[in-house]
Amino acid sequence: MAAVKYIASDKLPDWLKSLAAKSRVLVPVAEGGGVVFRPYAPGCRPVFDSDATAPPKGAVFPACQELFRYEQGKDPEDPGKPTLKLIASTEAEPTVVFGAKPCGARGFLIFDRVYIGKKFPDPYYIAAREATVFVTMACAAANVENTCFCHWVGSGPADGSGSDVLLTPVAGGYTAEAVTDKGAALLEDPALADGAAKADEAAAVKAAAREVLGEAPDIAASPAALLAAFDDADFWRDQSDKCVSCGACTYLCPTCYCFTITDEPKGMSGRRMRSWDACMHFQFTLEASGHNPRPTKAHRLKNRVGHKFSYYPTLHDGLVACCGCGRCIKSCPVSVDIREIVQNAVARAKG
Amino acid sequence: MPVLTGKELRIVGFLCNWCSYGGADTAGVGRFGQPTDLRIIRVPCSGRIDPLFIAKTLINGADGVLVSGCHPRDCHYAEGNFYARRRLEVLKRFLPILGIDPGRFDYTWVSASEGQRWQKVVTVFTEQIHALGPAPRFDAVSADMLAKAAAGALGQGGNRVAA
Amino acid sequence: MSRLEELKTRIKEALPGLECVIGWQKGYDPLHNTPLFMRTDADVDKLEWGPLNVHNPAVYLPTFTGKKVGVVVKGCDSRSVVELLQENLINRDNVVIFGMPCTGVIDLSKVKARLAGAGVSAGTVTAVTDDGKTVSVTAGGQTTAMPLAEVRADKCGRCQFPNAVLADAYVGDPIAPAAPAAAADADLAALDAMSVPERMAFWRYHMERCIRCYACRNACPMCVCRDHCIAQSREPHWLTQDDTATEKLMFQVVHALHLAGRCTECGECQRACPMDIPVLALKKHLNRTIRDLFDYQAGVDPQAIPPLLQFKLEEDNIKERSW
Repeated sequence: MAAVKYIASDKLPDWLKSLAAKSRVLVPVAEGGGVVFRPYAPGCRPVFDSDATAPPKGAVFPACQELFRYEQGKDPEDPGKPTLKLIASTEAEPTVVFGAKPCGARGFLIFDRVYIGKKFPDPYYIAAREATVFVTMACAAANVENTCFCHWVGSGPADGSGSDVLLTPVAGGYTAEAVTDKGAALLEDPALADGAAKADEAAAVKAAAREVLGEAPDIAASPAALLAAFDDADFWRDQSDKCVSCGACTYLCPTCYCFTITDEPKGMSGRRMRSWDACMHFQFTLEASGHNPRPTKAHRLKNRVGHKFSYYPTLHDGLVACCGCGRCIKSCPVSVDIREIVQNAVARAKG
Repeated sequence: MPVLTGKELRIVGFLCNWCSYGGADTAGVGRFGQPTDLRIIRVPCSGRIDPLFIAKTLINGADGVLVSGCHPRDCHYAEGNFYARRRLEVLKRFLPILGIDPGRFDYTWVSASEGQRWQKVVTVFTEQIHALGPAPRFDAVSADMLAKAAAGALGQGGNRVAA
Repeated sequence: MSRLEELKTRIKEALPGLECVIGWQKGYDPLHNTPLFMRTDADVDKLEWGPLNVHNPAVYLPTFTGKKVGVVVKGCDSRSVVELLQENLINRDNVVIFGMPCTGVIDLSKVKARLAGAGVSAGTVTAVTDDGKTVSVTAGGQTTAMPLAEVRADKCGRCQFPNAVLADAYVGDPIAPAAPAAAADADLAALDAMSVPERMAFWRYHMERCIRCYACRNACPMCVCRDHCIAQSREPHWLTQDDTATEKLMFQVVHALHLAGRCTECGECQRACPMDIPVLALKKHLNRTIRDLFDYQAGVDPQAIPPLLQFKLEEDNIKERSW
C-alpha cells in the first residue's frame, strides 16, 4: 500500500483541473433539488458532504447506450440483393468519478461478477469499466444517514473495495490513499502532499463514522429465509402493500444491473439500444404471448429483495447484491424499507 | 403566389376526412395556389386527434401544426368536433408553458366546399409560421440559456433549494 | 378520548366488513411517515395523524377492484377519491371514507432545505415534534423549529378543502379554510414571468436529470392505466428509451395532458420525484386553464362530469380565430 497523501481543500480545484485535462471527470453537483454526477468544469462546486441523489452508475453503465447502428441498402450491382451494414463501437471515454461515496463505487463489484464473468463477458461494460477510475470520499460521522446500512452487507463507511483512491475528510482538507495501481497513478500530482501526519486523524474520522452506524443485525440467514417465504403470498402482499411499483429504487441503485434492449428504426437505418430496466415495472417480465409471470407488485418486490439478498449471494459466494447506500429507502415515494423486509423474512423463518 | 423564396418549413396538418380534407381537395381541383410547406395527415374526425399528436409533433421539431375539422354542428359524427374544440383550446393554452410559441399551433374549421377558405387558412398560417421562423429545438437549447437555468436566473420556481 | 383515538375506534368498528383500511404509520425515521394498510386491530393502533402524512392514499383505491376497502383521507386526498368516483374508476359502494380536519402537511424538500441551512443533513433526523403551528426537527444534535406555514406543502397554502369533501365517517369538527398564502403558487408565477424560450431552457435543464422511474406517474391517484401506460408500450410507440430531455419532457406532457380536467393538484407527482423536478407546475398551469375556460375544479362534486368529457354547442370562453 502506497503512503498516505494529503490535499488541502483549496488545492482540490488544481487537482480536479489537472485530472480534467486528461479525462472526463464526473463530480457530484447540486442540480435543482438533487445531487447528480456531471462533468467537472472550473468553477463548479462539488457536493462532498452528502451522498448524491443518483449514484455514479451511469459513468460505466449508461441509462441508455447505443450498442450498434445499422443501415440497410441494396447492392448496386444486384438490386435484388439487400445489404446490411453494422456500425458498432465499444470504445469508452477515459473517466474519473470523483467524490462518490465508497458504497456507490462498491456497487460495481456486483456488476463485475455478471458482466466480466467467463460465460457472457460484456465488451461494452468491460471497456467502460477499464476506462473508469473511482476516487471516493469516505463518510465522516455527520454524513452517516438514517438510511445508511453498508455495515449490514459486509462493508463500511470507509470500505475502499471498488474504489481506486479513497479520500477521507480531515481538518483543512482530505487524506488520499491509493487502493489500486490505477489509483496510485492519480496521486502522482503536484497538488498532493505527503499525508503521513494526517493518517491518525483520518483513521479517527473513519472509526467515528463506523461508530455511528452501530451494530448490524445478522442477516446471514436471509438467503434461506427469503427462499422459504417464496410461496407465502400473504407475506409478500403485506411487504408490498404500499409500493407504488415505480422504478426509483432500481434506477437509483448502484447494484441494479438489469437492462432491456430496444431497436429504433428510422427508414432504412436504425439503432439498437441498451437501457436500464426495472424489475418493479410490469413490462420487465411481460412475455410476447401477453402472459406475465410477475403480474403484481408483490411478485415484483419479492424478486427485487430476493435477488439482492438470496439468489445473487447464493450464486456468488455469499456476496449480497446490495451496497447498503440506502437510496431505495430515501428516494422511495412511500418509504418502502428493504431492511425491514429482509428482517421480516428472517423473523418469519425463525417462526 | 406565396412568397416562399426561402426554404420551406415543416408544417404538419391534421385534417378530418369528411370536411377539411375535402376542402383541401376542392382547393386543389379549383387550382387555388397554396404554399407548399404543409404536409397533410388525414384522420377520420377532428375528435380523433389526440392533443398528444400535436404536442409530440412540435416537441420533436415541427415548425407548425394546423388542425382543421368540420364546422361546429356539421360534424360527420355529430359531435366529434365539439370535443375536439375543448381539447385543442386547452392544448393551445398549454403549449407556451412548455416553451413552445402558441402561434405555432392553430385549429379551425373548413368544409368540403370551402376551397377558397382552405386556401386562405393555409396561406395565412404558413405566413405566420414563416414570421416565427424555424422552431427552436429542445435538444439545441443554448449553453448560455442552460447556464441561466442552472443559476436560477430564469426565475426558477418555488421553494425548492438544493438539500 | 382524543380525535385520533376516536378515529381508530371508528375504523375498528368498520374493519370486519372491509378488506383493509388505508392510512399512515410511522416510517423508518422520525421525519417520515409511510402508508399503512390496516387489516387487524393491532394495525389500527399504529395509525398516525399529522403533518407527516404527506402521501395520498387514494392512489391505492383502483387496485382493489371488486373489494370493499376503507381509506383515511385529508381534504386533498378526498378530492382524488371524488374524482375517481366521478370517472367510475371506483365504486361508491366499495369504498368507506374516513376523514378528519387537516391543518396541513410538510413539504420534505422545504424541511431538507431548512436543515441544510442550519448545517445538518435531513438524513440524520432523530426526533420530530409538532404542536399544530410549529414543527421542531432534531438532527445532528440540534433542534430546528420551523413554523408549519413556512415548511408546509404549497397546496396547503391555498387549501380550500381542509375537511373531506366526501366522508362516511368524519371525526372532529370541520374547520374553515385559511386565507390563501401569497407564495403558494410561486413556481407557476416564476414560469409565468419567463419568456417562452426561457421556459424551454427551464424544462430542458430540469428534465435532464430525470431518471424515467415513473414515480410521478405511479404516485398519481389519477394515473390509473399504470401497468399499461402508453409511455412504455411499443405499439403505439410514443416514446423511445433514449436518455434525452426531449423524451423525458414528452412523458411529462403525456402525463399532464392526460390529467387535463382531472387533476386535483394533490402534488404527489412532484413529491414523489426522487430528483426533485418541478413537474407540478405543468399541472397547475393546466388547472388554471381549465378554471378559466370551463369554470371547473376536479374532485369536488361526485356527480359532476369532467369538462373534457362534455361540451357546449356555444362555448362561453373559447374565442375561435377568424381567418
